[in-house]
Amino acid sequence: MAEPIFTVSHLNSFYGRGKERKQVLRDVSLTLSPGEALGVVGESGSGKSTLAKSLLGLVTDIQGELVVNSPRPQMVFQDPYGSLNPAKTVGWILEEPLRAAGVKDKAERRRRVEEMIALVGLSPEHLARRPARLSGGQRQRVAIAAALIQGSRFLVLDEPVSALDVTLQAQIMRLLADLKERLGLSYLFISHDLAVVYQLCDRVAVMTGGEIVEQGDVDYIYDHPQHEYTKKLLAASLALDG
Amino acid sequence: MKRKNWYLAAGTALTVIMTAWTVLGFFWTPYDPSARSSADKYALPSLAHPFGCDYMGRDIFSRALEGAGTTLTIAAAVLVIGFVFGLLIGALCGYYGGAADALIMRLCDAVSAFPSILLALVAIALLGRGKYNIIAALGVLFVPSFARLVRGEFLKQRDRDYVKSAKLMGVSDLRIIFVHILPNTWPVLLSGLTIGFNNAVLAEASMSYLGVGVSPTEPSLGYMLSESQAYLLKAPWFTAFPALVIILLILGVGLVGEGVRGELGVEP
Repeated sequence: MAEPIFTVSHLNSFYGRGKERKQVLRDVSLTLSPGEALGVVGESGSGKSTLAKSLLGLVTDIQGELVVNSPRPQMVFQDPYGSLNPAKTVGWILEEPLRAAGVKDKAERRRRVEEMIALVGLSPEHLARRPARLSGGQRQRVAIAAALIQGSRFLVLDEPVSALDVTLQAQIMRLLADLKERLGLSYLFISHDLAVVYQLCDRVAVMTGGEIVEQGDVDYIYDHPQHEYTKKLLAASLALDG
Repeated sequence: MKRKNWYLAAGTALTVIMTAWTVLGFFWTPYDPSARSSADKYALPSLAHPFGCDYMGRDIFSRALEGAGTTLTIAAAVLVIGFVFGLLIGALCGYYGGAADALIMRLCDAVSAFPSILLALVAIALLGRGKYNIIAALGVLFVPSFARLVRGEFLKQRDRDYVKSAKLMGVSDLRIIFVHILPNTWPVLLSGLTIGFNNAVLAEASMSYLGVGVSPTEPSLGYMLSESQAYLLKAPWFTAFPALVIILLILGVGLVGEGVRGELGVEP
């Protein structure tokens, strides 16, 4: 079997300093195989975002084992208003990761940007615009393009569709599934919504209070939830679907 | 939303006029600003002397032209020093935070706790008079307020997701600070600059008024006010016109700042 994208075992993460230091993750163990999409579900405050940030090195106060084998993992954030620099054009935002990766040739950067913008379903005319002049769905497409353009094959998706309305949600979910297929991507998909996770993910881990209380194949968990908390989440998402 | 921004329009017009006035003063004045004429002492404003003449018979119009140049040069130099160092200190403190930030900010508080004119007077007493000493003294005193303004903006921006995203992509800290974050702080910095400019004009005028400003051979607007105070009743135009030039300069830039704030929806 291929080397896992990441392996986390007995991970504890902390926020704050001194007296304010609080443990957010408790004894979390998780792995992700290449080409797999792993959902992490839980309410706000369950520690799922902290898990993502620990994986990416944005939270450094950690104990336990954490190995990430994929080069340059990237993150797609919930709110594309905040994750795209409002002062820059889409073209600049997409070129910047290439500049940071040391691609000196401007024509080469331009070519790769145009390739990527087409891949996420936008057109070159969007390149001259600033994020404020794009719709929410278009912004999220730009954010996904920016995350992929350095050649990353592992993305952390932090509630990537929660800020969008339902039609746009479906479009972005389709795009993510499509990109996963075509580029062989691996996802860590963070969400509070089991229904959305069910659409995209192969496996799911349910988190509450900084702990993983249940994990397994999406279908199995959906049909045979063991933990009380998972049952509650499932009931909530079914109630929403009517 | 499409409401016309009168502040910006009026401010820009006034600023253009006052800049033209100042630039004109660098190249041309109707009379030699220092030429005395006993026949014209206390002359009323007339066609020959639109702003009248002072107690030595010097043409106030010419002196106000030259004085605006002196005042503006000093104000601009003070602003550049305050802004450049304030920007560097504020950006680094705001972005990195930590113990160095806390220490530097307490230092800024300490400097700000004294009235700046008082500190400038002390500095001039130590350094001696002269245009460059005034620029240096006032420039240093302008650093803390800019540093605090810039730091506040960087504190707001540094936790935004686009900064995290740039970090993940391997963008260097300095590039994040000056290329990614800085452009997002311009609206606030711009309005800070207009306020700073006005304070610098007033500070130069105050220093010269107190007699520790520029040398008498180089009239500034503040120096003219200082000279005129003894003749306030005898020749009110001697005071009125330099004061008017100061007021118009400040009003123009102030309106631009207000207009920019309105346009971008920045809280003052």
